Amino acid sequence: MAKTYDYLFKLLLIGDSGVGKTSILFRFSEDAFNISFISTIGIDFKIRTIDLDGKKVKLQIWDTAGQERFRTITTAYYRGSMGIMLVYDVTNEKSFENIKNWIRNIEENASADVEKMILGNKCDLDAKRQVSKERGEQLAVEYQIKFVETSAKDSLNVEFAFYTLARDIKAKMEKKQEASNPPGGRTGAHQLRANEQQRKPTSWLSRCSVL
Amino acid sequence: MNYQSKANKYVCPNDRQLSLRAKLRTGWSAARSEPPLSKSEREAIAAVVKRAEKVDEVEARRVGRLVARLEGMRRSAQGPAPRTCLLCGETSRLLAPLRTCAICRNSACPKCVIDTPPHRSSIYSREQYTCILCAETREMWKKSGAWFFKSLPKYIMPDKKITGRYNDTELAKTLQEAGPSSNEGKTDSEPGSPLSIHPPSFSRQPSKTDSRKSVCLSQDHEWNETDILSHGVSGLSLHRTDSLTQRPLGLKRTSSKGSAYSIRSIRKDMPKTMTQIERPPTIPDAGFGTLEIKLAYDNGTSSVAVTILRARGLIGMDMTGLSDPFCRLEILPREGSYSNRLRTKTVHKTKNPEFNETLHFFGITESDLDSKCLEIVLFDDDRYGCDEMGSATVSLRECLKCPSQLRLALSGASGSEPTGPRLLLALCYSTKKRALVTTVCRGAELPPQDSNGYSDPFVKLHLDPDPYHKKHKTSIKWRNLNPIWNEEFLFETRPTELSRQNLTLTVWDKDYGKPNDFLGSLVLGASSKGRRLKHWMDCIKFPDHRHEQWHSLTDTQHL
Repeated sequence: MAKTYDYLFKLLLIGDSGVGKTSILFRFSEDAFNISFISTIGIDFKIRTIDLDGKKVKLQIWDTAGQERFRTITTAYYRGSMGIMLVYDVTNEKSFENIKNWIRNIEENASADVEKMILGNKCDLDAKRQVSKERGEQLAVEYQIKFVETSAKDSLNVEFAFYTLARDIKAKMEKKQEASNPPGGRTGAHQLRANEQQRKPTSWLSRCSVL
Repeated sequence: MNYQSKANKYVCPNDRQLSLRAKLRTGWSAARSEPPLSKSEREAIAAVVKRAEKVDEVEARRVGRLVARLEGMRRSAQGPAPRTCLLCGETSRLLAPLRTCAICRNSACPKCVIDTPPHRSSIYSREQYTCILCAETREMWKKSGAWFFKSLPKYIMPDKKITGRYNDTELAKTLQEAGPSSNEGKTDSEPGSPLSIHPPSFSRQPSKTDSRKSVCLSQDHEWNETDILSHGVSGLSLHRTDSLTQRPLGLKRTSSKGSAYSIRSIRKDMPKTMTQIERPPTIPDAGFGTLEIKLAYDNGTSSVAVTILRARGLIGMDMTGLSDPFCRLEILPREGSYSNRLRTKTVHKTKNPEFNETLHFFGITESDLDSKCLEIVLFDDDRYGCDEMGSATVSLRECLKCPSQLRLALSGASGSEPTGPRLLLALCYSTKKRALVTTVCRGAELPPQDSNGYSDPFVKLHLDPDPYHKKHKTSIKWRNLNPIWNEEFLFETRPTELSRQNLTLTVWDKDYGKPNDFLGSLVLGASSKGRRLKHWMDCIKFPDHRHEQWHSLTDTQHL
């Protein structure tokens, strides 16, 4: 049997073409970097199992093509993903501006409670930088999404980003499970109250005799 | 790459482009000007999809194991009863008082609960216990990803084996001891039947020592069926509840001292003659399954007795891939307007129904046998109408042959378009408007209700459950049995909600001075079947596209 795991989280990388989605994923899954640009065809995915608070979490990370001609295929994968990483290129103003469109794209196609994160990639290329870190942070605050600048080439913050997103999803999962209790519990509470009143005398007596 | 150019096709279009495209009704993702995918691209994508399927299968097996584990726990649980443990049936004792599970509010003994850290915002701040059943349910909900998708993903159950204390030799011994009746039990569950997958069910003889246990057993059974859905985390639905009833219930019980077992044939009501007949050779079917029948002609009463034995491998009609089949039989050609139709009972939730029902057609002369034939049509029983699942025709001459048992291959539903009173409906989920756009296009062959031989039809629509309680009505088309409305209605909803909602349409005949006459109704939703289910799912799966389909109306009124 294959390696077992506790949870399976499906993540998705989106962003304009050439921002480095594939490179980020390549760095995370294989810890390697390829300088040449090969455009992703449609979709691809990589798997890596990480350890989160003693639980084995299998991450299935979908890498999408940024090119618009694959949009019909890539949007089909929004719905099934629990976390989405929006990637832009700090040396490319346009790709940053498009993050807003990508977010709307998510709102239209993905589940409502999907975890999101913005990555500003290629932060090693400071000389060519067009988008400052502050602007990225500001955008993230505006949408209340976490933000981190990464570099797939220098392996900067890539691990951190994936771990953060996975941890957020896990936290959301725990929270949801907790939250799902009260409604069920509250309805049952009335019944319980009635029962308790009936039972009280006997339990009180029995307890007394023990003491 | 020049990202600054105005119409760079590799980047996300700007707001204005998007809004313009939205007006084209194609959805902004549909970029018409782009070249189609080349062959190598399609192959690359197909390879990825295939790889993903493998991952999905591993995941499905894992979820299946989780489900199996939980089902096992549920099966071995005693069921809720006052003042006894939900799981082990232990009664309350002084030093080990029963705890109440914070989730299901059933009592369980200290061995069967786990402490949970007190909830911050909880009103019940005293102690928090969770019975291990609820804890396990919750864990499975988390591990399977159902917490996110709000329903269990598809899963594959692990291979079933007879686990527990009673191994094969012992089973065989008990079978022998049970004598002739055991043979019946065995032949009943022939290969291919759903019953044969599960070992024959054992019932504990209510002997003196065991009387309490046997009561428990029957309780357990009941509880599994009715309570399994409501137990544990709210909203959890186990798709395989029906299979629980078929599982051996007694096999897991441990104490076996001095208790006698007897074989009970799984279907007592089954006629004994059925079991002796050998299987006819299999014949290839067209994907719609096969039907086994027996024909007999009685000279004395000039009647034909048709025994519908069973059907195998029928097509699935509802969400779970199961059907509620029944057969409608008719002798063709009809004599005049007199129709001689008979139907069997409905067997619920199965693709391999055992009908075992004999129906008699009277007034069939011997000469009729040569010229007439019997038409059997299988329908899927549904509150909201019947969908054809397949049909077979057999010449009545067959009943004169010696072994009159036949195995027929069913052919597909005749004519894909429905006939009779029907409605042409177009559905489109618009992601822009965040609404289900329902277009009532036209009706056809509506029944006449007024004395002038016409009706004055209009359609009422509502979505159920709908937080906005929106109700719509079309205009009235006076004196028309084939009205054309082409009217569009919007129901605000979310695509995720859509799978839980039903769209109900009722067609009425407008009358003044007296209540409107009911002409027919139609319900589309995830719980509907056949064509209607497909239409609904298409609408959910492919938003921003118009899905147009004819649907036949049913004459039952359900609101």
